Amino acid sequence: MKFSNYLLNLSTALVDKSGVDLAYLLSPRKDHGKTIIKEFRNPTRQSMKQFEGSMESPWDEIAIQYVLVVNHIARNKPIEAFKEEAHLVSLFFRYFTSNSGWTLMALFSMLRDLRDLAIDVTYENGQSGTMNMEEAARVISKAFTNCVMDRQSPYVESRKWGVYYVVGLIMKSYFRVKRISLSKNILRAINANPDIPPLTAYPRSHQVIYRYYVGMLEFLNEDFVKVSSRSLLSSYFFNCVSEQELTLAFYTCHIAAKRNQERILIYLIPLRILRGHLPSRELLDRFPNLDKLFSPFVSAIRKGDLSAFDAVLEKSERRLVELNLLLTVERARELCMRVLFRRVWVVSEKSNRMPISLFHSALQVSGQDVPVEEAECFVANMIYKGFMRGYISHEKQMVVVANTNAFPRPADRVSPYANL
Amino acid sequence: MSAIASSSKVESPAKVGEPHKEDEQPTLGVLEEDDEFEEFEVADWDDSHTDLAHLGGKAPGAAKSGGDKLWEDNWDDDDIEDDFSVQLRNELAKKSSGEAMQH
Repeated sequence: MKFSNYLLNLSTALVDKSGVDLAYLLSPRKDHGKTIIKEFRNPTRQSMKQFEGSMESPWDEIAIQYVLVVNHIARNKPIEAFKEEAHLVSLFFRYFTSNSGWTLMALFSMLRDLRDLAIDVTYENGQSGTMNMEEAARVISKAFTNCVMDRQSPYVESRKWGVYYVVGLIMKSYFRVKRISLSKNILRAINANPDIPPLTAYPRSHQVIYRYYVGMLEFLNEDFVKVSSRSLLSSYFFNCVSEQELTLAFYTCHIAAKRNQERILIYLIPLRILRGHLPSRELLDRFPNLDKLFSPFVSAIRKGDLSAFDAVLEKSERRLVELNLLLTVERARELCMRVLFRRVWVVSEKSNRMPISLFHSALQVSGQDVPVEEAECFVANMIYKGFMRGYISHEKQMVVVANTNAFPRPADRVSPYANL
Repeated sequence: MSAIASSSKVESPAKVGEPHKEDEQPTLGVLEEDDEFEEFEVADWDDSHTDLAHLGGKAPGAAKSGGDKLWEDNWDDDDIEDDFSVQLRNELAKKSSGEAMQH
């Protein structure tokens, strides 16, 4: 494509209000870009000055800027390419802020390109790449403001319909460079803008990406809370929000997007296990990787086999740490102990009085070489946390459990994430 | 064992050990370092293309008893027959009879 044709095509896309065409034309890695730069020998802003005024502002500058970006990419200069793309986006904002939602397709595409270029820098430059990704997130945050600020366009054509996708991209960028907590400002900004349409009115792809990252943010938040040992109540709250958001993300996700479903489930499954909802065979069969990771835990829990649980925890430890999942999975050990103690009760023919020594033996069989006092302490803990209903007679060394519902279903516990 | 294999072992015992340990870690395709949430091929779809379609109007994530076949909330099993159970039962039986004799 000749540069003159490129300008012409841009004009046509603008007249037609074709977001798709505009997105395509502004994408720096398409064939037309490669052919355009052949016309110019090492184009610079200076050498391209002759084209100023060739289109209505800011499109003359945008077109020139586009050539600069493509040129840097072709010359394999990721840092420069990123910088010029960031400028390209800001030039585009000038047009975007005075137009309606048809421009969103182009916006999304440019923001993705910006992120991709920041990733290229990361590969080349390590630490400075992180800076570029944060810069990308800041540029995308401006896009967020420009979407929210739409006061003119009719509801259906509002730029507000870009809000959640853009926020998803911001969070995705911060996650990429592990500056997750920086996402919180943007979430606050959403809550502070009551005239943003409800999330469920947005395309499902926007809903899923947004819910996924909110769920992840809350999930990791919870870990921070735990580390700083703040109240158990907020720990409970974060896990609840996280599970809700990830559940909705999973059930809104397109079935064909298996890898995204898998990503959601990596965190959803352990959270649901803590709630007493085990993943079914049907679910695990659909996701062999998750089956491999979680099935050994699920089977240890079902059996109440603590030694099997500990063994698989140790074996998967490194992977679980990488995934920030270790603490969550570790907590499911309680569920495993609850099953072990329930089996003591079953083997005792569901008697409501059982000597502590029985629980002690069960722990021994399950590989826990602990003194009787500790076994008593475990039982006390199980009772305290609502896994068992009953009391301990310390003098008689006897556990007395309720005649009915001695071991409530874990799924029925009122606040499964509290007291963990 | 060949001379090459043994010499490499001398060189870097840690490296020889690593691949084996690697094998034991569950491999997860989507979980490589740089992996991230993917763009969807289409922007929107209806519920028939989601897991909601399998629920027949039940609440998502409700568990089997609530109509969601993907989760189980009623999984207590009174008759598991595995080595562990047998061992546990024997041990507890021994214990109970011991207790009984003491009293």
